[in-house]
Amino acid sequence: MPVYKLRYFNNPRRGRAELSRLILHQAGVEFEDIRFPHSEWPAIKPTTPFGQVPVLEVDGQVLAQSNTIARYLARKYGLAGKNDWEQALADMYADNIHDLLNAAAVPFMEKDPVKQKEMYEKFMAETIANHVVLIEKQLNKNNTGYLVGNDLTWADLAYYAYFSDFMEVKFGSAFLKDAPRLKALIDRVKALPNIKKWTDYRNSKYPEEN
Amino acid sequence: MPVYKLHYFKSPRRGRAELSRLILSQAGVEFEDIRFAHCEWPAIKPITPFGHVPILEVDGQVLAQSNTIARYLAKRHGLAGKDDWEQALADMYAENIHDLLNAVAVPFTEKNPVKQKEMYQKFMRDVIVPHVAAVEKQLKKNNTGFLVGNELTWADLAYYAYFSDFLEVKFGSAFLKNAPHLKALIDRVKELPNVKKWTEFRDSTYPEDNE
Repeated sequence: MPVYKLRYFNNPRRGRAELSRLILHQAGVEFEDIRFPHSEWPAIKPTTPFGQVPVLEVDGQVLAQSNTIARYLARKYGLAGKNDWEQALADMYADNIHDLLNAAAVPFMEKDPVKQKEMYEKFMAETIANHVVLIEKQLNKNNTGYLVGNDLTWADLAYYAYFSDFMEVKFGSAFLKDAPRLKALIDRVKALPNIKKWTDYRNSKYPEEN
Repeated sequence: MPVYKLHYFKSPRRGRAELSRLILSQAGVEFEDIRFAHCEWPAIKPITPFGHVPILEVDGQVLAQSNTIARYLAKRHGLAGKDDWEQALADMYAENIHDLLNAVAVPFTEKNPVKQKEMYQKFMRDVIVPHVAAVEKQLKKNNTGFLVGNELTWADLAYYAYFSDFLEVKFGSAFLKNAPHLKALIDRVKELPNVKKWTEFRDSTYPEDNE
């Protein structure tokens, strides 16, 4: 088993390292889950390939870019999809989530609370509402309960991380009222034994993330 | 050979479909290069999986997301990297370019020309210069002339598309003066016979892309 070290900030809200953590925990693979305070970032930044985290060390070699890290781990541990086409579909869904993370970052970083509330409302009413309709349509079409093929992939974990672990916690489940299949998917992932074990552990160990 | 149809806007500046076109052209694979006018977008948008383009049809099935499409084509046609680790490195470089495309979209879409000029200067200084230094360091470390392993991958095509085909054309080569390895790489890609054939064809067939 390779030695994995995943490095990321110790907040906020789990961020772009959580998908890789979910993949590793679901697969039952050990790794060093390194979280550093923001004050250490100026010293760490120059040691990263492109001045960003998360980075993944694999037996001392370094990989950057959150979705690259997640995809590499998903492939190694059977969560990527069964053939080139399924792997591409999973990539597509993960790229969607990457875009949605980028989009949510804008209101997330707004300092004025009144403006921020307005921005979040617009974001939910437009970006999220539209995407949920489209994803529900794809889930309907695939008709297996999963986003890709008939098995769990990292795409399902990515949608869980964003729509349940982030959106549902922050905004409640109202935005899912017309998306029973998406709701069922994220509930299914939430209840997976390895996922539940991880989230119970992390919610008590890293309360600052909530 | 599957039937590939790549759908994207007619303009601007080639955008997020060009990497896939370069991959297909380099690999010598035929594809239908569909470019539609912006006025057609309202009719096309609802038939895409997520309301955006590019999309790739492969024997009638649809894939979305520019890097997903590019990666799939690179894998199918020998440009993805030789093993899991190389493929991950190539992914990493492609995602860097994706971030840089997102970053440059901000000044690109600024309407006020004075403000835009200022934004571009800040962008070159704060985003491009550090990234060029970081990539130059990686190229030196890999020491093969390519970003990944010792062969061309879609990562090299992605860096060519952004740094030569877009930035060099727009801003000239000054920003590459301290990056001889990156300059050599993009010049090498530019001269690959299939890439050269494609760029000459497209520059005469689609002059509006150069606006």
